[in-house]
Amino acid sequence: MELAYLEEVRKLLHGRDYHVVGTDVKRVDAVEKVAGLAKYSADYLIEKAVHVKAARSPHAHALVKKVDRESALRVPGVVEVLTADDVPGENQIGYLVEDQPIITNKARYCGDIVALIVARKERAAWEGADRLQVEYEPLAEVFDPRESLQSSLRIHDHGNIAAEAKIRKGNVDEAFRRCEVIIERTYRTGSQDHAYLEPEAAVAIPTGARGVTVIGTNQNPFRTRHTVARVLGWKDSEVTITTPYIGGGFGGKDTYGPVICSLAALAAVKSGRPAMIVYTRYESFAYRFKRGPFEIKYKTGATQDGKLQAIDIEYLVDAGGYATWTVGFTKRAAYHATGVYSVDNVRVEGRAVYTNNLPNAAFNGFGNPQMLFAVESQMDIMAGALKMDPVEFRVKNALVPGSRTGTNQLLDHAVGIQELIQKVAVQADWQGKRKEYALAQEGNKRRGIGVGCSWHGCGTTGFKRDWAGASVIINPDGSVSYSTGIVEIGQGTTTSHAMMVAEVLGIPFEHVRVDVNNTGTMPDSGETHAQRGTIIVGTAAVDAALKLRKRMNRLASEMWECSEEEVAFEKGETYNLRNRSQRISFSELAYEMYMRGIPPAEYGFIKARRGYPDPETGQGDTYAAYTFGCTMAEVEVDLETGQVDVLRLVPGVAAGKIIQPAVARGQVIGCGMLGLGYALTERVQRRDGRMMNPSYTDYQIPTIKDKPEMADLVIVEDEFKYSGFGAKGVGEIAFIATPLAIANALDQALGIRFYDMPLDREKIYFAIKEKKGHGSRS
Amino acid sequence: MEAEVRPLPKMEYRAPSSLGEALALLKDWQGQARLLAGGTDLIPKIKKRAVAADLLIDVNRISGLSGIELGKDGLQIGGLARLAEIEASPLVREKAPALTQALQIMACPPIRNRATIAGNLCTASPAADTAPPLLVLNASVRLQGSGGERMVPLAEFFLGPAETVKRPDEILTAVIIPLEEGRSGFLKLGRRKAFTLSIASAAAFAKTRGGRIEEVRVALGAVAPTPIRGRKVEETLKGKEANEANIAQAAEWIRSEVKPISDVRASAEYRRDMSYVLTRRVLGKVA
Amino acid sequence: MQIQFKLNGKIIQEETEPQETLLDFLREKLNLTSVKKGCDEGECGTCTVLLNGKPVRSCLLLSAQMRGTDEVTTIEGLARAGEMSEIQEAFLEKYGFQCGFCTPGMILTAKALLDENPRPTVQEIKDQLEGNLCRCTGYEQILESVQRAAELRAARR
Repeated sequence: MELAYLEEVRKLLHGRDYHVVGTDVKRVDAVEKVAGLAKYSADYLIEKAVHVKAARSPHAHALVKKVDRESALRVPGVVEVLTADDVPGENQIGYLVEDQPIITNKARYCGDIVALIVARKERAAWEGADRLQVEYEPLAEVFDPRESLQSSLRIHDHGNIAAEAKIRKGNVDEAFRRCEVIIERTYRTGSQDHAYLEPEAAVAIPTGARGVTVIGTNQNPFRTRHTVARVLGWKDSEVTITTPYIGGGFGGKDTYGPVICSLAALAAVKSGRPAMIVYTRYESFAYRFKRGPFEIKYKTGATQDGKLQAIDIEYLVDAGGYATWTVGFTKRAAYHATGVYSVDNVRVEGRAVYTNNLPNAAFNGFGNPQMLFAVESQMDIMAGALKMDPVEFRVKNALVPGSRTGTNQLLDHAVGIQELIQKVAVQADWQGKRKEYALAQEGNKRRGIGVGCSWHGCGTTGFKRDWAGASVIINPDGSVSYSTGIVEIGQGTTTSHAMMVAEVLGIPFEHVRVDVNNTGTMPDSGETHAQRGTIIVGTAAVDAALKLRKRMNRLASEMWECSEEEVAFEKGETYNLRNRSQRISFSELAYEMYMRGIPPAEYGFIKARRGYPDPETGQGDTYAAYTFGCTMAEVEVDLETGQVDVLRLVPGVAAGKIIQPAVARGQVIGCGMLGLGYALTERVQRRDGRMMNPSYTDYQIPTIKDKPEMADLVIVEDEFKYSGFGAKGVGEIAFIATPLAIANALDQALGIRFYDMPLDREKIYFAIKEKKGHGSRS
Repeated sequence: MEAEVRPLPKMEYRAPSSLGEALALLKDWQGQARLLAGGTDLIPKIKKRAVAADLLIDVNRISGLSGIELGKDGLQIGGLARLAEIEASPLVREKAPALTQALQIMACPPIRNRATIAGNLCTASPAADTAPPLLVLNASVRLQGSGGERMVPLAEFFLGPAETVKRPDEILTAVIIPLEEGRSGFLKLGRRKAFTLSIASAAAFAKTRGGRIEEVRVALGAVAPTPIRGRKVEETLKGKEANEANIAQAAEWIRSEVKPISDVRASAEYRRDMSYVLTRRVLGKVA
Repeated sequence: MQIQFKLNGKIIQEETEPQETLLDFLREKLNLTSVKKGCDEGECGTCTVLLNGKPVRSCLLLSAQMRGTDEVTTIEGLARAGEMSEIQEAFLEKYGFQCGFCTPGMILTAKALLDENPRPTVQEIKDQLEGNLCRCTGYEQILESVQRAAELRAARR
């Protein structure tokens, strides 16, 4: 990602307007989806497939003493019972910390898989799992991270800390001494379930003497492949992951993909038959990993002129039984801990602690929704103490080109946050509404308007690696076959890639076909997460297309005896800018390449433009670029019931060049609803490590009637120089800001600040009641 | 804690074409058979093994039990009338608006297209949304068994969660709502704006003349083991002038009449407070 | 036991068992995998099909319940002679989908509304779709798609 791709492409296109990028096209997956032809993992109904069911520990912490296979094998139709001893390769699927077996001998959360039942029919698998006798030795359990920190109880031999994150910048103590206003508060954020409509599923088919193909729900085919290979004791090349359509991911299938695919692969290889595992909605709710809970102590200091001087943060993350992706988001939270503001003195200490709760997964926002809840609440409180308008205070401190982040990364361009906040404020009529709602309100309803600002670094956190590959093959007839490891989870990224390739090659979008997602034939593009699909992997696509263009330009220049720079590609035609009668169709030129033995295919492979920060100070270039978001929310609270009605959401994003406007809009609105759900209607209710509401009946995601009025999307196209077409990412940013804006709006409406997210209705109701003087909650 | 949904167990299935046939089957199978009407409560319950049945008696092919008409005793709704049909009925909207209002915000159209009024009442969830409106409208239900038929006032129908006076060999074939001058209404509180179980619900009926409340009835759902009438509220309000202060004062009594529990959906304390709010508000709609 | 009913315009005859849901029957016996199993208890809407023109949850029906006079419509039944229906075109045009998992159920439920009410208001569309959950789109573009479908139908009349 060293090239200034934005400029490279502009030069190549001779500064012309884009014909494809920035327009709305028919997505590559559109027809299949509206025709009902799109197949998802559980739709691959292979007739003689065996069915796999996980047998799970009912204890949150226990040793598995004995698994009585016979008790299940006796059930007619059960063909295999697989335990930890049956894992042929390494019994290890951990991500950044190698602490997680695929089938365990020690249960570390309620639901930890202790055996796999493999049966000829689905009902037999159920019965086998019911009848399996397992002898446990229950151990002491711990569900509170603070308790776990102080406890001598060991969930893992290597201690109770799963991850740490530190930031040290400037001199925090000295800076606080200068501050006239200092605010310190503690914030708590709860879990959230992805609740995607498609439950986890995988079908594995043994191929030949040593090979398996897995069709399964995942967001990271190559990591999944490596995990499956590891578990089987095979090479990466002996496993094929082919990813079908995914019915919603949001990060959940990023974390869980390798798990579900490994379970299917194990069963297939051991039984020699195609094997299918499909989670029930109950399993998906009760046992699949979710957003990680945080407790954040946040101290902010500013001088009287309204300039932020220092922040000092300590936070604790409940990692659950295994580290999984908690390591990544514990770090991301630290890197983003300043919020979208310039702060010169930063101290952050973050720790993730093992407990016997469910492990965590990646989930839209990945540590940012948690940390920024604290940040944006603090900003409002600080503004109040400084007697400044909350938006004015934010604008005054916002990052600008030339600012350095909390990790001391220089942002020299693509920093559109200040302009964004101001534009959203106009769209939302912030000044007017803020003033209106500040006046005394009558009756049983109270209104308020609030703001939330967010940022999200584009690219994988926590790992040293962030590579991306893309393959562009020009066929002899001029059509293009495009291949990437990015997974289509609904976000339309592969369409964006095809559009960018079409633009660079100057051909109609419809001539680029995105090939099937198959690890055997496509380049490793890393994970589909962290808003990296367009900015990083898309750049690999542009990289490949640029290389091909250079070759084609040279060929044309040889044919026409002009300079390479004078060759233009547009709408399927290639011509000499100086002499337009010299022209050839793209397809003819493609055929000419073949005839002359000029390679018609190219591989784009880049690594993200970032470093790996110092583990002690967190200083370093943590992400290639940052997307910024700002949402303003208007709410109305029913004082008698505590019900919060979101009247209007005004979202805005600064995500660089927008490749597909309608798709970006869909992302922003969809993320907005996800945020509204997190704030107001969804609650993961846990007791002793068990989810008490594992169904759509009791885990309430927003319906169409919960959708507020959505203002027209505010877009600031702060293009990023080093990505293809200047795009950044847009897949998570609009989620993060929404709950923050709602919480701040509530504060104006009620004069009550809530330090917990979700904004639990009964908490709101009883707080109102207490404030009115009707006694506190018994 | 919720039980897991699993594939349905092996069962037998019959689809009688007459009420007599259905009743005979019920009698023969002696409590091992279940009536399959809408199936929207029964099928999930069997999947979760909360209910067992050796035989499913599909009553959807029996004709004559789904009409909505005016009879000599009042508005007659066949037990097998679909909630969607009842909701769309202009007759119901005119004569029993509280019921229409409840149906409009109950479950969702695909569920209402199959669910029946008999099913909703016989499932007897304390949170059943059709119950409070029917209670304030003084509805009765007709129960038919192989031994004969009987009318039971709805106020005597519910015994507890999932428990009613209906015997295993009976079918609820009609709901009768006597015609009465006055207004009725319904309100519910859920966890989101649609397609949600009631945390608390309230229906009211009132007849006012010259600004004075001549007759008033109020019923609440999801705040007691069965849907209940708020009799102390009614006694307090009857005969009084219809104004905010009187309504608020009378509504206070509901706090001592409800017996809410704390569950994953809401706490008992919140439900108790909301009983007051909903009672007051729904009375304000009709009085 | 044998059952017979009309499916997407054609009479079908198949073996089933009492405990087989219509959902499993459509998916496993007839390979109509467009009908999805999101929760198997009626709470999500992805299994929604049309029964005699009305949206119902196929996970809450037994295939055994289908009679000769019953007609079941899945999304495969909307296209005519290889051409997509107006409502499908509208969802394409207005981006009424993202991951696509809720889409078949959503389109069928919306189609049933337009068949009965060709010019629905926003409130009427919301009333009809309140039981079809979507986690990706935030519903705005779904609303716009249904409105566009109404326009397309009116134009073609």
